[in-house]
Amino acid sequence: MGSRALLLLAPATLAERFLVNHFPKYGFQQAFKRKEEMLRVGVRNYSVHSSLERPNVPRLAETARISLTAQEAEEFAPKIQQVVDWFGQLQDVDLQSIEPAIRADTEAGSFREDSPETFDKREAMIAAVPSYEEPYIKVPKVLNKD
Amino acid sequence: MLSSVQNPRFLLIQCRRSKPFHHHQYPKSIHAISQVQSVSTSLPTSEIQKIQKSILSREKTARQFAEQFLNRLRLTEPYVKSFLHVSKTVLNEADEIDRKIDRNEDVGPLAGVLVAVKDNICTADMPSTAGSKILENYRPPFDATAVRKLKEGGAIIVGKTNLDEFGMGSTTEGSAYQVTANPWNLECVPGGSSGGSAAAVSARQCVVSLGSDTGGSVRQPASFCGVVGLKPTYGRVSRYGLVAYASSLDVIGCFGSSVADAGILLQSICGHDKLDATSSKREVNDFTSQFVAKDYFESQPLKGLRVGVISETLGDGVDQEVVSSIRGAISHLEELGCTVTEVSLPSFSLGLPAYYVLASSESSSNLSRYDGIRYGNQIVSDELSSLYGGSRANGFGPEVKRRILMGTYALSAGYYDAYYKRAQQVRTVVQKSFKAALDEHDILISPAAPSAAYKIGEKKNDPLAMYAGDIMTVNVNLAGLPALVLPCGFVKNGTASLPVGFQMIGAAFDEEKLLRVGHIFEQTLEGCSFIPPLIADELFKC
Repeated sequence: MGSRALLLLAPATLAERFLVNHFPKYGFQQAFKRKEEMLRVGVRNYSVHSSLERPNVPRLAETARISLTAQEAEEFAPKIQQVVDWFGQLQDVDLQSIEPAIRADTEAGSFREDSPETFDKREAMIAAVPSYEEPYIKVPKVLNKD
Repeated sequence: MLSSVQNPRFLLIQCRRSKPFHHHQYPKSIHAISQVQSVSTSLPTSEIQKIQKSILSREKTARQFAEQFLNRLRLTEPYVKSFLHVSKTVLNEADEIDRKIDRNEDVGPLAGVLVAVKDNICTADMPSTAGSKILENYRPPFDATAVRKLKEGGAIIVGKTNLDEFGMGSTTEGSAYQVTANPWNLECVPGGSSGGSAAAVSARQCVVSLGSDTGGSVRQPASFCGVVGLKPTYGRVSRYGLVAYASSLDVIGCFGSSVADAGILLQSICGHDKLDATSSKREVNDFTSQFVAKDYFESQPLKGLRVGVISETLGDGVDQEVVSSIRGAISHLEELGCTVTEVSLPSFSLGLPAYYVLASSESSSNLSRYDGIRYGNQIVSDELSSLYGGSRANGFGPEVKRRILMGTYALSAGYYDAYYKRAQQVRTVVQKSFKAALDEHDILISPAAPSAAYKIGEKKNDPLAMYAGDIMTVNVNLAGLPALVLPCGFVKNGTASLPVGFQMIGAAFDEEKLLRVGHIFEQTLEGCSFIPPLIADELFKC
């Protein structure tokens, strides 16, 4: 199943026709038989985007504040590289003059009143803190590494 | 306090003696239909309505229902492992409901209904781990809004279900605690990331459950487990209390063993919440009054409904048997009066890499709060940044770490334009193409996944193969649209069968139409029983 599913990862050609809807007279079953002739799914070579630097896993781990072991970094690098190469498809598409959408355009978004309220479960919140010394949350010292 | 676990054969004998009619299949015999007609406005296969009717008329007590489900839970849990925590107060809560009924007090539309909640949804009285070691034993100081609403409706929260860590995964193997099995075949995955919630409903360990859906995490497990999965419109249900994975994509969704149950559950949790700035202020209609018994249906109840089948979803890479199940569903819809045509969404396959760029990027930001300082597991360290690094390395699983790293990469200076911004642009393209398709059609359909459930361990080491399985579902999250998955057929799996679901996508906030179509489809689908063999012998309503 895995190898067949990978075919789905290849992008369809972004054709000018957006809606193929010219089968109103035929039953769906007949239309389906003609489908294979109408559509083509291209297969791509993914490792083409050398203009961008490859992910430097140890560097990324530092930025993300995750202490990876050397073994983990070695294991993750090819998998991350594979996925990032796959992301490269996005570079091949013509997206000029298309506005980026930060979220679904389902008219979500509203603000509540700007009036402060006291949270009524302080004790429960504090109980979850691993290292607490009233009224401080304790952390180890910060060493300047730079 | 919980009644001791009965020998399953004893349970079988006892129940057979007390009740001759059992719901092994959707009613199609004349006897069954006349039974339905005698309770004219009742919903024939809605568990919730059956329980409500029964306890309000004192035919049975809430405690009896609770015991029935808890027994089944205990019998099946060693095999299915859907739960991370089971509530210790279920029977007390059931007793309280019975007492209220005796006093003629109002008990709420979900009274007596056992609901399971995915463990990335905060519950104040039970741990909420999001399937991760970094939140082991974490007790949130508040209930999620959806949970609060359930409680207000009288529901009994039976427990917290297993999931892929932080919602990242499509098999539930990514949980830091246990692997949940598919009740249809214990060697197969239940799907993910809401695998525990889907399996719990499938194995009838509870009536309904809540999950979350960021890229298909309610719909794909619903298909794999043969249950109904409902993903509402983005903004329909408050996200307050849902552990954030990708904030522009996450929604809380519903599982049920029937469309009516999923719809009733959704009704109880949706609505505007001032604590979620992305929750919609739009009015919520009553979608539950349309769940009428099938003898009230006209002869072609869906006449005039324009259905569009997304052509890109039935081609290469999709299992042949899945395609035939979908074609079967299409024929059934045509019999019900629908006009079915093909629709092409050329940007369809581009949605998958765009989704993973957006989801990884947003998750790298959302998961930066797990620093071991204010909550969660903390390692010992004498220096701050290694405290962060070590706590996070220790607490996060490999898939979570990889996604954070990929997200960090995609958002780094110099790469933002190449990846994140382009993914946002693809999101616009996907939204527009869905809008155009939904202008010409009432609903769009596709499979929920390119295959039925696969074996545990099969995709574990191949992230891209796992991501490929999300192709059917991610575009719907990018567009924020509602979608309903319901079982429509089976694929052969050795001597047994695995269920297959089809997905119906609607216009924003049009859950009512999806539920109406789904309910009619389900009620008229004859010869199909979606009860896993594991529990078939014990499943009957006493």
